Amino acid sequence: MAGRKWGGTLLWRGVASITVFLVFWEIGSLSKVWLKWETFAWLKEMLVSIGWTKNYLPWIGAVPAPTEVLLAWGKVIDDVGYWHSWYMSCLRVLGGFIAAMVIGIPFGLLLAVNRTAFGIGFPVFEVLRPIPPLAWVPASIIFWPTQELSIAFVTFLGAFYTIVINVIGGARSIDTRYFQAAQSMGSSSWDIFRRIILPGTLPSIVVGSAVGMGITWEVVVAAEMISGGGSQIGGTSGGGLGFFIWNSYVGGSYEQIVVGMISIGIAGFISSELLRTLGHRVTPWLRLR
Amino acid sequence: MEPGAQSVEVEQMLEILKKTMPFQMVSDVLLRRIAALGRQSVCERGTVLYDFGDKADDIYIVISGSVEHTLEAGVNARRPVQALGPGDVFGWAALLEKYPHRLAKAVVIDKAVIVRINGDELLRLLEADPDAGDVVMSRFATMITRDYTVPDLIAQMRGIHRKMHSQDIQGMNLTLYRISQWIKSPRPYLMVIGIALFLSTWYFFVEVWKLPRFQEMPGLTVVFKEWLNPNPVYGLSLYTAEYYKHIGVSIWRVAQAFFLATALGVPLGLFLGWSRKFKEYVFPVFETLRPIPILAWVPLAIVMFIATESAVIYLTFLASFFATALNTMLGVESIEESYTRAAYCLGAKKWQVFKHVIVPGALPFIFTGLQISIGVAWFSLVAAEMVSGQYGLGYVINTSYTMVRYPTIIIGMVTLGAVGYITSAMVRILGDYLMQWRVRELALGGQ
Amino acid sequence: MPSATAVTRGAIKIDDVVKIYDPEGAAVMAVDHCSLDIAAGEICMIVGPSGCGKTTLLNAIAGFHEITSGRILLDGEVLCSTEKPKAEPGSDRIVVFQNGALFPWKTNLENVAFGPIMQGKLSRVEAHEKALSMMADAGLSGVEHNYPGEVSSGMRRRVEIVRALMNDPKVLLLDEPYRALDSLTKSVMHEALLEIYYRNKVTIFFITHDLEEAIFLGHKVAIMTTRPCKPKKVLEVDIPHPRDYSVLTSKRFRELIEETNEAVHEEALKAFAAGEKEG
Repeated sequence: MAGRKWGGTLLWRGVASITVFLVFWEIGSLSKVWLKWETFAWLKEMLVSIGWTKNYLPWIGAVPAPTEVLLAWGKVIDDVGYWHSWYMSCLRVLGGFIAAMVIGIPFGLLLAVNRTAFGIGFPVFEVLRPIPPLAWVPASIIFWPTQELSIAFVTFLGAFYTIVINVIGGARSIDTRYFQAAQSMGSSSWDIFRRIILPGTLPSIVVGSAVGMGITWEVVVAAEMISGGGSQIGGTSGGGLGFFIWNSYVGGSYEQIVVGMISIGIAGFISSELLRTLGHRVTPWLRLR
Repeated sequence: MEPGAQSVEVEQMLEILKKTMPFQMVSDVLLRRIAALGRQSVCERGTVLYDFGDKADDIYIVISGSVEHTLEAGVNARRPVQALGPGDVFGWAALLEKYPHRLAKAVVIDKAVIVRINGDELLRLLEADPDAGDVVMSRFATMITRDYTVPDLIAQMRGIHRKMHSQDIQGMNLTLYRISQWIKSPRPYLMVIGIALFLSTWYFFVEVWKLPRFQEMPGLTVVFKEWLNPNPVYGLSLYTAEYYKHIGVSIWRVAQAFFLATALGVPLGLFLGWSRKFKEYVFPVFETLRPIPILAWVPLAIVMFIATESAVIYLTFLASFFATALNTMLGVESIEESYTRAAYCLGAKKWQVFKHVIVPGALPFIFTGLQISIGVAWFSLVAAEMVSGQYGLGYVINTSYTMVRYPTIIIGMVTLGAVGYITSAMVRILGDYLMQWRVRELALGGQ
Repeated sequence: MPSATAVTRGAIKIDDVVKIYDPEGAAVMAVDHCSLDIAAGEICMIVGPSGCGKTTLLNAIAGFHEITSGRILLDGEVLCSTEKPKAEPGSDRIVVFQNGALFPWKTNLENVAFGPIMQGKLSRVEAHEKALSMMADAGLSGVEHNYPGEVSSGMRRRVEIVRALMNDPKVLLLDEPYRALDSLTKSVMHEALLEIYYRNKVTIFFITHDLEEAIFLGHKVAIMTTRPCKPKKVLEVDIPHPRDYSVLTSKRFRELIEETNEAVHEEALKAFAAGEKEG
């Protein structure tokens, strides 16, 4: 698992697998070209016999080919609007995520430390938690004065639940011997909180925020799509990668949809890598010897 | 204990019983019945409660004072002589199969209050409730090995479990036990306070004080009146067929996606964890696609699946699939190598190892994955339904907004939360049912 | 049924075995030209400090790991050699693992019956019958239908040994099976193991770092050097079997301990120093 050597066959196999995937994708989506050829008349007939009358393979044929996607990417790469979408989405993710951390960590710690607070607060939390964050979008738009705030709120909700759950779990799983040890050395409750509960919870906060970051991206993209164009909700301001995707869809440039998807994938990957690095830095005792 | 206290109150006896090793896990109802069998007496210093070879009929519980307990040499105890205090249970020979006689001598060393319970009567009670009885007997066994250091005798423990007809109720029974524990704690009352606080905040902020921004929201009473109205103002309530149709459509979509994701994700995860080569070839593609948020797939899914219905199901499926496959893989990787080695040693073939070690060993992780999977299924279903779709709860929420039917939005949200919760509880119950061994381990662990 | 007849199978010959981990990279020598003969039906105790390479030797016999050179024979048949570095794992050599490897998802009975069912030697019903009687012989009746997680750890070890014996193995390979047990349970387990051994004589290859345990149980005690591992001193224990706990206080037992203690301690110190360097 962790201690595996990087490089050699492992790297080679990874590259091979992704290459094969891309080649299949290319061939599949180019079916709109080659399916018309004489050679593949039999395949076409077979498809017709199962009720498929389109001029390309089912599903994959509708997806733009990797080469087309690359070309489309080349076109938007120097487009200000594209980079503005990056900027807007990142800003929203960051805003919602930081809000979730700032509110979620103290809230989680309070619930973990105080039994009464837990008894009162946790059930309400558990009642609200099964409602998917995106179901909040309309209510959020009604409540918040600006669209930006309503997107931020939904984004915040997405990360908030995960962070709180992880903080509570982390604080509860701290070995009681640490508390006993601290007490026997004469620590005050504040010392115990600061020197044991806080660092003891840190690893779970790191985990929770990594998961939360993933959800934040999901929510931002969806919120942008819903408010940007999915329906009549909201105005035209918006922007962001989700909006970029939706706009490409409405405009019929399917290559750009895939460009948008990959961009979000990259953005999500970079942010979770950043978080991981940061997480390693704040929990140095977890590093392997 | 007051020297003159002749009768220990039942409540007090319950408290003591709860602290004893064998009865810790027993539900209050059963514990009360057990306590009712108890006969309490005060014994002066020097009283011989029983001697070697006496007929063994009662078991004893020390309420206060202390008793010296000496096991006979023949039972090979590591620590034959022990001083017993409040909460200790002795005289367990009454529960052994081959020993109707006492294996020990018990003498009061400090004036003691003792409760006796007839062994046969206790066993009858436990047999009437085999699941609880099994736990009690197991804990007796643990106590005999651990505290009295005579492991050889456990084998003589009269087994309740053999009379148990099916293990199926075990999972359910633990749930009942948990519920009974829960009712005894202050938690339900705090919970009522918490939820009342939440609802009254909603009510006062929106409808009474009409705070800025809040007054735009649908109020508590408006929502509930609408929900319970046979003739709803906005067309959707508990009494309209339409409401159930939306619920039904959403559940049906999640069900299709979830089962498809499980059917494909579990085997894929098993193979990813099982064969390193397979993982090295397949996992990179998996990891490349995973960072793309499921919801970013929405437009592409609509393009790929011309029918909206399959696009919605595809999106829901995709989210579940990643969660299931990934957790299953982690589950297989978490299995200790000694289990597979042991199986090979015992002559199992590769596929037998797969069936008897890999699959059951990964099951706890698989079910964690399924719990996550059902959660994300609802999460993406809502988004998919909001963007494109007809019928379904996400659709209700979105159209109610555009048609300015604000109370219906909240009805949709609450229904969604409830249905989502119920489905994930069902997955958990199924998991408990399939993993009796874990449930029982947890039951013994006390948590 | 205690049989007086000599055991004729299960003789192990370890012949000049070398094991080097990662030969191209760090080249850590775990086992260095190790030779050891174990007679059929003998309890051979392998004593050495933790991490000295004892388990590597066991893994080679069991067939979990390759050897680099040398050979290991079981009853004259080559298990592994320089040419065929990895032995096939098989039910003639069964391992009892350090932390126990009863399948927690099977009941004790299903665990014990596992081997013969897998090998197709017995039907499910026959295997369960045989398992029930073997468990009864080992004083384990009453826990057959419990899961391993529900019984004490000492009991689990006994179930595991019975599971191994169900397959009528030539050799039992025990890898510090009692390491995690408290000393009281451990002493009970020693007698229980001997009792089982007197009933079903098999060769036992027993790894431990506890010298008293080794001398109490073994016919032969091999004290190993720390990394790389090879026998430093092989001691024939001349206390007659069957043994019981009175042995522990006997004069001869004390003498044997004194004789060997220094060798063990020396290796422990070396291992400790090596650990300091690595850590």
